[in-house]
Amino acid sequence: MKPDPKIRAVHFVLAAVFALLAAYFFFSTSTAVPSRAKIDLVDKSFLNTATWRKSYADLVREKEDLSDFDCYGCHEKGTPPTLRFDADQKLIIPSEHKDIVMGHGTHGRNNNCFNCHNENNLEVLSARDGREIKFSESPKLCGSCHGPTYRDWEAGVHGRTSGYWDRSKGPIDRKLCVNCHDPHSPHFPGRKPAPGPHPLRDQPVAHIELESHP
Amino acid sequence: MSTPENQPNGEPETPGMSRRSFLRNSAVFATGLAAMAASLRPLFETTDFPSSEQFLQKYYKELNPEEMQKVLTRIEGEVERQYGIRPHVRDYKPMDGVEYVYCLNLTRCIGCRKCVHACVAENNQSRDPEIQYIRVLRMPHGSLDIEKAEHNYAPEQVPEKGYFYMPVQCQQCHNPPCVKVCPVHATWQETDGITVVDYNWCIGCRYCEAACPYWARRFNFTKPSIPKDRINPEMSYLGNRPRMKGVMEKCHFCIQRTRAGRYPACLEVCPAGARKFGNILDPESEVSRILKTKRVFIQLKEEMGTSPRFFYYFDV
Amino acid sequence: MITAARNYIRFLLRCSRIAFVGDWRYYAWMGILTLFCLVGLNAYCKQFAYGLVTTGMSDEVSWGVYIANFTFLVGVAAAAVMMVIPVYIYDNEELHDLVIFGELLAVAAIFMCLAFVTVDLGRPDRFWHLLPGIGQLNFPSSMLSWDVLVLNGYLLLNVHICGYLLYTRYQGRKPAKWFYIPFVFIAIFWAISIHTVTAFLYVGLGGRPFWNAAIVGPRFLASAFTAGPALIILALQVIRRVTSYFISDKALLTLRSIVQVSMIINVFLLMCEVFKEFYSGNLHVISSKYLYFGLHGYHALVPWIWTAITFNLTAMVLLLLPVSRSLRWLNVSCCLAIVGIWIEKGMGLVIPGFIPTPLGAVIEYFPSLNESLICFGIWAFGMLCYTIFLRMAVPILQGKLLKSNEDEAGALGVICK
Repeated sequence: MKPDPKIRAVHFVLAAVFALLAAYFFFSTSTAVPSRAKIDLVDKSFLNTATWRKSYADLVREKEDLSDFDCYGCHEKGTPPTLRFDADQKLIIPSEHKDIVMGHGTHGRNNNCFNCHNENNLEVLSARDGREIKFSESPKLCGSCHGPTYRDWEAGVHGRTSGYWDRSKGPIDRKLCVNCHDPHSPHFPGRKPAPGPHPLRDQPVAHIELESHP
Repeated sequence: MSTPENQPNGEPETPGMSRRSFLRNSAVFATGLAAMAASLRPLFETTDFPSSEQFLQKYYKELNPEEMQKVLTRIEGEVERQYGIRPHVRDYKPMDGVEYVYCLNLTRCIGCRKCVHACVAENNQSRDPEIQYIRVLRMPHGSLDIEKAEHNYAPEQVPEKGYFYMPVQCQQCHNPPCVKVCPVHATWQETDGITVVDYNWCIGCRYCEAACPYWARRFNFTKPSIPKDRINPEMSYLGNRPRMKGVMEKCHFCIQRTRAGRYPACLEVCPAGARKFGNILDPESEVSRILKTKRVFIQLKEEMGTSPRFFYYFDV
Repeated sequence: MITAARNYIRFLLRCSRIAFVGDWRYYAWMGILTLFCLVGLNAYCKQFAYGLVTTGMSDEVSWGVYIANFTFLVGVAAAAVMMVIPVYIYDNEELHDLVIFGELLAVAAIFMCLAFVTVDLGRPDRFWHLLPGIGQLNFPSSMLSWDVLVLNGYLLLNVHICGYLLYTRYQGRKPAKWFYIPFVFIAIFWAISIHTVTAFLYVGLGGRPFWNAAIVGPRFLASAFTAGPALIILALQVIRRVTSYFISDKALLTLRSIVQVSMIINVFLLMCEVFKEFYSGNLHVISSKYLYFGLHGYHALVPWIWTAITFNLTAMVLLLLPVSRSLRWLNVSCCLAIVGIWIEKGMGLVIPGFIPTPLGAVIEYFPSLNESLICFGIWAFGMLCYTIFLRMAVPILQGKLLKSNEDEAGALGVICK
């Protein structure tokens, strides 16, 4: 049979190849899953919902140390504290209050403690019209100058609101101005950002920075 | 036409095959079948082969309350077996007279990405491969051109001068392209505006991912991995229960929180109060006030006609 | 009734037996194809076990070579109809029997399409969700639901037409015109529709400006009607070579003129697209920029698209010149056209639609080894099917496999050529 040896050869080769293939499939352990760099779990500090400052009302509620607010522990009642300014009209912070950094308004616009504090009664704040404002109600003081922001804050549009959007199911938890803003230096502080995304197929190709650098 | 040289067939002219050629043929046959059987071996490494209940589970909208309860109990058992914690899996229905809207204040966002990670923690997203519903874009001052966005910024401090930050997540569009294109109705929009996914119905074709103009949908390319100590046991069927390999997922406005009246996790963690959420049908809600009083708000890619429920605005 | 069924079963058995019989080249060919199929099957089992992470796809580029091949092959399937039109509308007797070869190619191509879509699914075990009535098929809103219906309908149409014509030839009787001619005409329109529906999968996505253009549909059809008949030209010459079936050069040259015209239209539409993308300079051009020139240092697709354009232009020029009347140059231009269009529809259409993402990120796509093995496996499976179909059809058309010689064939019903 003329074609027979060729077919025989082909059949033999095929049978051998299939047998080898069966063995390979059976014993191979490769999973074809690509290896990926390990992704660290995010630091739990990034999941923290607490504000970075506590207000007077928070401290009272949590029964924390209120000695910072015990003004007449050092000051004399009836004697308004004296303010000292240097040659550039900048306020000199006394060493007893060295952790206060004045930065409320640029170009030294709000350079006077008694713009907010009541010199005759250090245990309250006062607005420019002389109204006394309790420490626990400090947003009213802020709002006496920052009207639009205060209006937004009252509506829940400015600042942090947490808890329940559906007031019938639970209360809303309003944060006060001082929970986020240091009243002496209210600019909202920058911070380290949480890690960026790790795409599934990250390529080590040098990513050319986009042109928009200010 | 049929000369002996042309005969491709080596069989003899006499009827029937010879015994030797039959055996030869059988050897090839047998080894071929063996190779085919052996090639199926990796199937046995499948750790998440669907059970018959999973395979036959009905579509979400067709489940009556008893069947739904059975499904929820089954899911609780599955999660317990996998993660060692017994979760609470509920099916929250939408509230009447509620339509959710999200407003994001671009003046306030500092790009800290806490929202991204709070979302991951709340919604039991896979850590490896990493799935994050929210992507924060760093945009240069003066432009909303997405091509100028930077995804991988990592400075020492945010915010950086000359940039603003824009977090993007599912916009829960009024006219969602993803819902339009899903071939099996696995994703649809509920009456309160949230576009949801039935993870047990999705076939994983990823058409919705191609259709979304905001790159908001994520696919599970393999079994998700969630560290056992970071699992959130308060789960919902359409929300944050752990997903499985081969299905889509996306931001669902923390459906297990919002349908219980609470704020979503991304809003709770935002240190700058840049995120505002609520019921647009309530004129006293923050979001209603924002949309009434702020002069400019942006819906991303408005020209797509998707009419998103996500509004970006500026204060100053 | 029972006799008819018994006859049909005997016909099917004879056909399947003959698929296992051939010369050494046949066994070698089938053996190699089976090898690729098995390797592909093994690779798919790994993908089934571990998920689509074994491919090169990602959230950024969520469709890859599977859908690219699917798109190309729907075009090939649709193009089978291009042979039907001259025969039935223009009464070209030359091509009469060759229509069956074209339609068998369509059947094999549809098998491959269905396979590619299935391997692309994240949850293939949930395929029943797609069944109308049993699952929740989102018809008519989702274009994928349309694709499911029209592809399977096209498959049934072609299986019916080929099956009926071959069976009647086997039985030695003339086919009843009413039982196949209407289906042929339906198939002509249906073929256009399968590829239009597949095009609309992409066109309907407003969020992907690279795809959301009216020209995509016509381009699909033009490129399909180039690549499909080109494949048939090559397939017919293979049939001519390995069997004793007579195919005239005239038939091949008729197909050549179809490829010629379609390629000219394809290139013209390419130029329209390029003009539209680059002349106005608006921001939606970004994906095209990535494809043709690279973007932000990422340029993986640039060599591919320029190769495809070169191939297509060369093929077009060759086809226009009389030199392509010679089979050697005709084959060269067909190969160039097929490869060029495959690249264009795959890497030139599917991938750039995803890069950059709608949020501007660029993550490139490279098919993984496992993914490629599955693709080769499915292509091998398709070629295996087509070879088997031809192995059954050619003897029937030649009059060698007939009902009348059923008894001569002996115990195993094997017919010698």
